[in-house]
Amino acid sequence: MQINIKYNILIKKDTIDNFIQKIPPAPQALKETLLHLNAGDLVKAANAAAQDKALSSYLKVLVNKPIYGFRNEVSDVSQIFGILGVSASQQVVYNYMMTLLSPSKWILFKLNRVLFYNLQADLSVNWQKILNHLHIDDKDILSSISLLPASIIVSEALFCEKKADVDLLRSVNQIDLNTVLQRLCGLDLFDICEQIAQKWEMPQAISDILQSASGVKPAKDETTNNLGKWMHLLLFYTLSQEKYVEAELNDFIDFQVEYVSDIYEEFSKVMEIS
Amino acid sequence: MRAVVKNGIGIFTPQGFLDGSSGNSFLSIDDIDGTIAQNADMILVSLKKVIFFNRNGLDSFVKMFQKVRSANHCTVGFCDYDTKKYAAIVKFYQDDLNFSLFKTQEIATLFSANYKNQNKNILLYNEDKSQRAAMAIELHDSGHNPIVAQSYSEFKEKSDAENAYDIIITDTYLGQMGQKVATRVTGNAIIYTVSSFLDAEIGNTFNIAYHNNSLNVGFRLFIFDAYKVISMNVHALNFFSKLSSAGAEYNATICFVGMSFDKTPKEFKETLEDSGIMFFSQMDDILQDKDMLEELGASSASNVKDKRAINKTTVTELPNFIDATVGTIEMMTNSKAIKESANINTIDISPKEGKIASSIGFYGDMDGMVILVFPTEIAKKACELLIGEETNDTELVLDTLAELVNIVGGKVKTLLADEHISVDITLPRTYPNIDSLLEIVQDKKGVQVDLSFNNDKFIFFLTR
Repeated sequence: MQINIKYNILIKKDTIDNFIQKIPPAPQALKETLLHLNAGDLVKAANAAAQDKALSSYLKVLVNKPIYGFRNEVSDVSQIFGILGVSASQQVVYNYMMTLLSPSKWILFKLNRVLFYNLQADLSVNWQKILNHLHIDDKDILSSISLLPASIIVSEALFCEKKADVDLLRSVNQIDLNTVLQRLCGLDLFDICEQIAQKWEMPQAISDILQSASGVKPAKDETTNNLGKWMHLLLFYTLSQEKYVEAELNDFIDFQVEYVSDIYEEFSKVMEIS
Repeated sequence: MRAVVKNGIGIFTPQGFLDGSSGNSFLSIDDIDGTIAQNADMILVSLKKVIFFNRNGLDSFVKMFQKVRSANHCTVGFCDYDTKKYAAIVKFYQDDLNFSLFKTQEIATLFSANYKNQNKNILLYNEDKSQRAAMAIELHDSGHNPIVAQSYSEFKEKSDAENAYDIIITDTYLGQMGQKVATRVTGNAIIYTVSSFLDAEIGNTFNIAYHNNSLNVGFRLFIFDAYKVISMNVHALNFFSKLSSAGAEYNATICFVGMSFDKTPKEFKETLEDSGIMFFSQMDDILQDKDMLEELGASSASNVKDKRAINKTTVTELPNFIDATVGTIEMMTNSKAIKESANINTIDISPKEGKIASSIGFYGDMDGMVILVFPTEIAKKACELLIGEETNDTELVLDTLAELVNIVGGKVKTLLADEHISVDITLPRTYPNIDSLLEIVQDKKGVQVDLSFNNDKFIFFLTR
């Protein structure tokens, strides 16, 4: 009896290594932009950014989204950086870096380029609101939100070819993608995000907050842990919006209600939830 | 968003914030149709991971409840909430509360047809007297021992007593309960509970696919608990007569217990008896009489007359079944599964000790049953992805093994559909030891394939 057996691994460590290996290095113009932003020189940063057409085009699209609340269209990069200031400029540049990783066609999630940009904008503006409330003025902490959507990009990249299997698995057991990855490969989505951050030489504080924002790995440092809670809750506040629920993002990772319960009242005041 | 169905209870778990704008997006028309098709006994929305909701946010789920209920007659409602959320839901819906509220999934299970945890001592309290009574009746019917606190102070006093109760029920509300024919398994008999007026609707509420599968896997005694039946009309009479005749080829027996013929024509009883149905006044008349149980074929499937053989259609599709099994094991273990040998015969499991099994049936364009037999430790490894941590809880391992064969069934369905063969799969069944499996399959011929992953061997058996 001839039986043809196909190899049917859900996710291999090799796939993860391959994904990490293929992360492109940050383009030169980006590096220069970030370097000047780090030095607080907005003019030089704008000049460097203007050399990268994709970056300057992205900046225009992003900051002209309604959630940024500018009355008139802002089109010049130096104008954009001038309005945003150093911290928020660094945040949008990191947001752009994240788009370099996003797929041209989404399969696992019902996302597209516009919706992904919207997600970045929604998270960024509300994170700024939260940090204002917490009286935190730190450009790396402000930028840390940029890395959060990387968890979605990584999920898409690792599981898109196994959508049917993932759906079947999740139809019999309430298991989230982060847990699947952790149990099969010993590292989770947020570990991979941290590796992306390291490859792009993002400050360690960004990775630390993100790991904590996973909701399952509280940071030892109280400030970082607290920021992780706010970010975790902001993620699910955002993913509860109609457009992201329809994109099937609502349950890609587990919402840890207990983890954020002590900040919920404060969060609901900041976000004006009634 | 789709419901995860386990032990006949389908659960949706939305996360985050449920408000007017997002509520509708959690459930598409496909999701609702999919939920109806799952034919669960209970459909619940868990609020465990919802941190905020308002009435608009819940409304889309309540609309889904109405649709599923009118199509399936099953119990619907919310579960997994705290006292504050319970009070909010009751306030939102006040006079319109026609769905149920269960504080936890565990409490919901007590009211389902699952009957997995019987004989529990349960303390219950609800400020509404009729709710207290309704819950007590339902729990008693399900084989539990409900203790009703008549006042809050009595409840407080009783609930303070340590370890006096297995479960304490508060903040729970029974809306319209399911009118599906509840099913439970006692030993090797299947007990269906029917109530009130039996009419043409029985054809919709009785799960015929489950019944046929039960016949196929070796159940021979079916008892209708009819204590609460008020009357039966001619449509129901025809239904039960046909059911009995159809079961005759399997040598199956159908019994009615506690049926009163006060409001049902006496000649109906004769007609039913002519079709082979037996009548008893008490459940214990059957269940406590071991000789009777044996005579009626409940203690084993040895008197199966219809030994259906594996046929060419099934063998032709064998690669699909193997692919589905291998694919599932590889997906769950992240390691390659290997076929070691294949053989057509009756199942051969040696040694029998320390092994567990799970099966799933399929029916439609072709029918049969896939059985997987694992040494317990290997089953744990195979299910590691779903179990997560080390466990010695055999029940948990069996439950997870059922999830594994459910995935195998889902894959079989997809692979056969690619060849335009349409099948449906039954609920998975588990066997805590090999003897219980052999009662069902020892005389059945099938294809046995010895498989392994990481040098851990297990058996695949395909039969009809």
